[in-house]
Amino acid sequence: MMSDTPEIVKKVFAIFVVGIFIVGFFVTFTQMPKGNEVNVNDTVSRFYVMKDVDQATQMLDKGTYFNKDMVPLRNDVPYTPITFGKSSNLEDGAANVVTSIVVDYRGFDTLGEVTVLFLAASGVMLVLHGEKRKVPKKKTEPSEIMYVGTRIAFAVIFLFGIYVFIHGHLTPGGGFPGGAIIASGILGLFLGRKGYSPNKAGLTVFESLSGMAYVIIGIIGLVAEKSFLANFLPTGTIGDLFSAGFIALIYIAIGMKVGSELSAVTNAMIVDTEED
Amino acid sequence: MVDFLQNWVYLTGSMALIGIGLYIVLTNTNIFRIIVGLNIIDSGTNLFIVTIAWHPKSVMPIYTATNNLVVNGHVIAADPLPQSLVLTAIVIGLGTTALALAIAVKIYQKYGTLDVRKIKEEDR
Repeated sequence: MMSDTPEIVKKVFAIFVVGIFIVGFFVTFTQMPKGNEVNVNDTVSRFYVMKDVDQATQMLDKGTYFNKDMVPLRNDVPYTPITFGKSSNLEDGAANVVTSIVVDYRGFDTLGEVTVLFLAASGVMLVLHGEKRKVPKKKTEPSEIMYVGTRIAFAVIFLFGIYVFIHGHLTPGGGFPGGAIIASGILGLFLGRKGYSPNKAGLTVFESLSGMAYVIIGIIGLVAEKSFLANFLPTGTIGDLFSAGFIALIYIAIGMKVGSELSAVTNAMIVDTEED
Repeated sequence: MVDFLQNWVYLTGSMALIGIGLYIVLTNTNIFRIIVGLNIIDSGTNLFIVTIAWHPKSVMPIYTATNNLVVNGHVIAADPLPQSLVLTAIVIGLGTTALALAIAVKIYQKYGTLDVRKIKEEDR
C-alpha cells in the first residue's frame, strides 16, 4: 500500500515528472531544424486557401512560408487570385477555408466525429438512465424575472445559434459552435423554470433525422459525383450566402444534431427537481 | 529557431497548461479533479496544435472583402488544416468529458466517494 508515503514526496515527484516533460519538450524543440530550414512547404494543407488542390500541388516546390526572403510561388503555373465576391465556380466555394476542409475535403472525418459525439451522448444517456436522485430542495425558487428573462434570452440565443451554423461557410463558427450555442440556450431554460424538461422524444427524433440527413447528402454525392460526400451542388460566387454547394446543408444538419444531442446530455445530467 | 519561436508566448502557455494538467492528474485522488486535469491537458494540446501552424505575420484563413490570403504569390494565411483538426478535437473532448462525468456520478452512487484510494480499499 502506497498510502503511507508522505504527501510532500508525492508532490515533489509530480513536479519532477512535469519538469522532465517540459524540459524534454523544449530540448526536443531546439534539436529540430531551424525555422528557415523547416520544410513546411511539403504540406499541401496551406494551399487549400487557393481553392484548387491540383494547381496547388503543382506550385508546391518553390513555395515559402514567412521567410525573410520569401520566394513567390511558381510563376509558370497559371493561377488567378481569388477575389472576394467575384471569383465563382471554384473547386470549393466556401470563404472560410477551415470550413471547406472540415466539411468538404475531410467530410468523412467529420462524419466520424459526429458519430463519436453521438456515441458519447448515447453513453451518457445510457449510464444516467432512469436516475431517481434524492436532491435537497432548491434554496430559492427562480423568480419571475428569471423565468421571463430566460425565455426572452432563449429566443435570441436560438436565433444566434441558427445564424452561426447557417453562415458557417462565410464566418468563423459552424455547425458545432452553433449547436453548442443552442444547447446553452436550453440550459438557460433549465435555470429559469423549476421542473423544466424538454421533449425527449422530440430531441431524439430531431437528432436521428439530422444525422440521417448527413448520410443521405453523402449518398447523393456518391450517386451524382461517384464519391461519397462529394459536392453535388454548384459552388456559386465566393462570399454569397448561397454558395459553397452542400456545405451549408451539411452544417445545418450538424448544427441541429449537435444542438439536440447536447440538449439531451444537459437534460440527462441536470439534477431532477422533483418534489421530495 | 528564433524565427520559429516568435509565437513563444503561446507555446509556453500551452506547455504550462499541459504541465499544470499533468500535475493535477498525478497528485489528486479525486476522480472529478482528475477529469478537470485531463480537460486542462486537452486545452493545452489544442493550443499547441493551433500555435505551431500560426505566425505573427499570418492572417486568418477566411476570405473577406479586406482579407486576402494570397498576396503577390505568397500564401500569408495561417495553415487551416490544424485549425480544423482542433475543431474536431474540441468536440470529441467535450463528448469524452461528458461521458467521464456520467461514469463518475455512477461511481459516487455505488461507493459514496470519489476518492480512488477509498474505492480501492472498498473493493478488497
